[in-house]
Amino acid sequence: MDDFAHRKQHPNYLLIWVYLFILTIVEVAVAFLSHIPRNLLLLALVFLAVWKAGLVGMYFMHLKFESNRLRILAVAPIPLAFILVLAVITEFRW
Amino acid sequence: MAHAAVMEPPAAAEPGAGVYNEKLGMWVFLGSEVMFFTALIGSYIILRFGAPGEWARPGVVLNVPVTAFNTFLLICSSVSMVKAYAAVVDGDQQKFKMWLLLTIIAGASFVGVQAYEYTHLVHDGFLPSGIREGSELWEKVEAGTVPAATAGIYGSSFYIMTGFHGFHVTCGVVSMIWVYLKALRGGYSATDYRGVEVIGLYWHFVDLVWIILFTIVYLV
Amino acid sequence: MATTAATVGQVGHAGHVDDRSFLRKYIFSTDHKIIGIQFLIMSLVFLALGGTLAMMMRWQLGFPGQAMPGGTVLPETMAPGGVLLPEFYISLVTMHGTFMVFFAIMPLLVGVFGNFLIPLKIGAPDMAFPRLNMMSFWVAVSSGLIMLAGFWAEGGHAGAGWTAYAPLSEAPEYSGVSLGQQLWCLSLIVLGLSSMLGAVNYITTVINMRAPGMTWFRLPLSIWALFITAILVLLAIPILAGGAIMLLFDQTIGTHFFKPATGGQVLLWQHLFWFFGHPEVYILILPAMGMVSDIIANGSRKPIFGYESMVFAIMGIGFLGWIVWGHHMFQSGMNPTLGQTFMISTLFIAVPSAIKVFNWMGTMWRGSLHFHVPMLHAVAFVAMFVIGGLSGVFMASTPVDIYIHDTYFIVAHIHYVLFGGSLFALFAAITYWYPKMFGRMMNPFWGKVHFWLTFGFYNLTFFPMHQLGLQGHMRRIYDPTEYTFLQPLQPLNQFISIAAFLLFASQALFALNFILSWFTGAKADVNPWRDNALEWSVPSPPPHGNFAVTPTVYRGPYEYSSPETSDDYLPQDKRLPTDRMPASQPAGD
Repeated sequence: MDDFAHRKQHPNYLLIWVYLFILTIVEVAVAFLSHIPRNLLLLALVFLAVWKAGLVGMYFMHLKFESNRLRILAVAPIPLAFILVLAVITEFRW
Repeated sequence: MAHAAVMEPPAAAEPGAGVYNEKLGMWVFLGSEVMFFTALIGSYIILRFGAPGEWARPGVVLNVPVTAFNTFLLICSSVSMVKAYAAVVDGDQQKFKMWLLLTIIAGASFVGVQAYEYTHLVHDGFLPSGIREGSELWEKVEAGTVPAATAGIYGSSFYIMTGFHGFHVTCGVVSMIWVYLKALRGGYSATDYRGVEVIGLYWHFVDLVWIILFTIVYLV
Repeated sequence: MATTAATVGQVGHAGHVDDRSFLRKYIFSTDHKIIGIQFLIMSLVFLALGGTLAMMMRWQLGFPGQAMPGGTVLPETMAPGGVLLPEFYISLVTMHGTFMVFFAIMPLLVGVFGNFLIPLKIGAPDMAFPRLNMMSFWVAVSSGLIMLAGFWAEGGHAGAGWTAYAPLSEAPEYSGVSLGQQLWCLSLIVLGLSSMLGAVNYITTVINMRAPGMTWFRLPLSIWALFITAILVLLAIPILAGGAIMLLFDQTIGTHFFKPATGGQVLLWQHLFWFFGHPEVYILILPAMGMVSDIIANGSRKPIFGYESMVFAIMGIGFLGWIVWGHHMFQSGMNPTLGQTFMISTLFIAVPSAIKVFNWMGTMWRGSLHFHVPMLHAVAFVAMFVIGGLSGVFMASTPVDIYIHDTYFIVAHIHYVLFGGSLFALFAAITYWYPKMFGRMMNPFWGKVHFWLTFGFYNLTFFPMHQLGLQGHMRRIYDPTEYTFLQPLQPLNQFISIAAFLLFASQALFALNFILSWFTGAKADVNPWRDNALEWSVPSPPPHGNFAVTPTVYRGPYEYSSPETSDDYLPQDKRLPTDRMPASQPAGD
């Protein structure tokens, strides 16, 4: 792979940084909007956090440019995490 | 420049993950780290959103503005890390070392700010075992803005999650210092930058965990 | 297919002179084979220790309150006048389980055979990360030392069972144990680190370093099993580590994770522990199943019946193993509806195991059976595992479990799958790969005597425990005669204890065979079992770097009695005129 082609392939990291900055500001602002119903607030915050995490994973960790195989490997533990937390929460809320 | 042989998957082998061993190994290791943080963060979620009992609202105990700045700092360090990676890939040794040094400084600063935050919290009476009687925060417990029933597990969860995250950041900073010293000796080039890519993956992961942590610990 | 007969210790990678010091070669070795043998020695020591603890338990159960022979060597805090104290008894129970699970069976299956077999069987020169591998062993040793230190702790060793349920494990006010329980937590956290390093190594190596032609569906089942096991280790052990850290903090710095009075949740410990604990038991059986497959095919001189379904069964067990953990908690007071879901998933997991049993039987059916010592143990494994699995079906049914939970029925189940299962498979595997490890054969006559004595005494020890359990005999109790309804069972308890003593004594034969064969065993050929896998084409023991030339693989490992050759076996790397080169062949081969 020649270096010119490689250089052209770097994503615009600075742009991602701007997105992350904006999302963080939005998050902090949303957190202090105390008149939203709590469930909606939680959903919005988690959504924003996941979006930011996704940006880091896709662009900084280059998952967007890796093979399917590696992407599956990277996200494989996440369903297990969900299973554990959701199952145990049912101990209290069913 | 084409990659050195060491940056390709092992030569005499069946096709595997399509990436060199160290990179595959780091991704596999990060899988285990996801599970480790799941144990800690998952327990927090279960204790807070599963079990009954109100917890203190955001900002009552913890310093959100300082931590928001710290979050920004860590995100910046992630950007500088990936810029360092891009520089070594492009063969720009000067930029690579500069961005790596900035990452180390930003990462160390994050730990510093966390340590500062911890000392203030402990001073105010916020401990892993709960709120210290007679402290500044104890008044909030008596006033009801910090529910007494959950103050204990609030402290426990907070310190174990942020503490272990901080420990991972510290390990990352130490590793990056090691990489930096190796870089000063010319240990990385555009044909072999394995160590940089691998520590980068670890560092971004640590940032990713913090993004989740910051939201569900400080903002919720 | 060139195999240079490299002399051991002199020649390293592809002809380089191996001039490493003794310390580098045998103590701080990065060679996966040496590390495997190091794990073997460590684990066998802990196996013997775990067995000794069990003998003390069986003394107390068979002859409650009587002075144990040799018991006077123990200090007053453990056994005044040779009579075991209840506090000491419960720490024996705890440590027997802990040592056997974490320091014997798991390292034997995963640490020894994972390390020794993986690079050899896939055609690689070593693991992906040899130095991490070395660290993994020494961290495991440190963990073992921490665990042993607990015996000298004030207040005695951990006494909350190998499962360390909160709140018993939380504080000395409940268990009487403080430092011992903390050391237990610390030791497992350290062991977790060792296991993690191993898992990363195994997974990376199997994915990335298979020799040309060694496609996924030409891998031996032992490797498939070790690979899936490594994934289970990777993802389950961190949960134990997290939980143990939380418990340790509750014990030491006053956190409240599992303290109900201050907002914690006792069941949270059980969920965390068993979320790890259930994949753990599959970690303890899958490698055994994999190696048994290799050995049964060899002893039957027939291909494994249903190779692909065996692979899918291993994956199925590995996958389903994540969603059954609640079956350990049916009696905990957990949400009954959640319990229902676990009952259903647990009943399902019997299916892939059953598929494997039928396939082993199918492999043996009309095979040319050679009952060498490993084959004897492997066939016994299948039979014992079926019994253990069947008792598992009873326990999976929540209403039945109400009666048999925490009774000796469970103890019987555990020991049928772990001893009848894993340990018999280990006897098979150690005997089978001993020649490759040490260049000598274990004595077959004494191997057979050991097998029959073990098989007999083992069943006499553990089968009656099903009966004990059904009649209400609880686990972990110090003196069964305290309960009038258990008194009629005391003769059975005595019988079991005597059988257990004889079982333990019989193991001396294995120990002696293992140690003496190293010096006086018959020198082993390259391929004494006429096996097809890649490790049987290199010297016994293989040189540092394993293969002088990277092998090329043309077929799977179970081509026994193939019509394509006059021999009754056909090695994976033997090229026939009709074989095509794989796409990924090394340059210049």
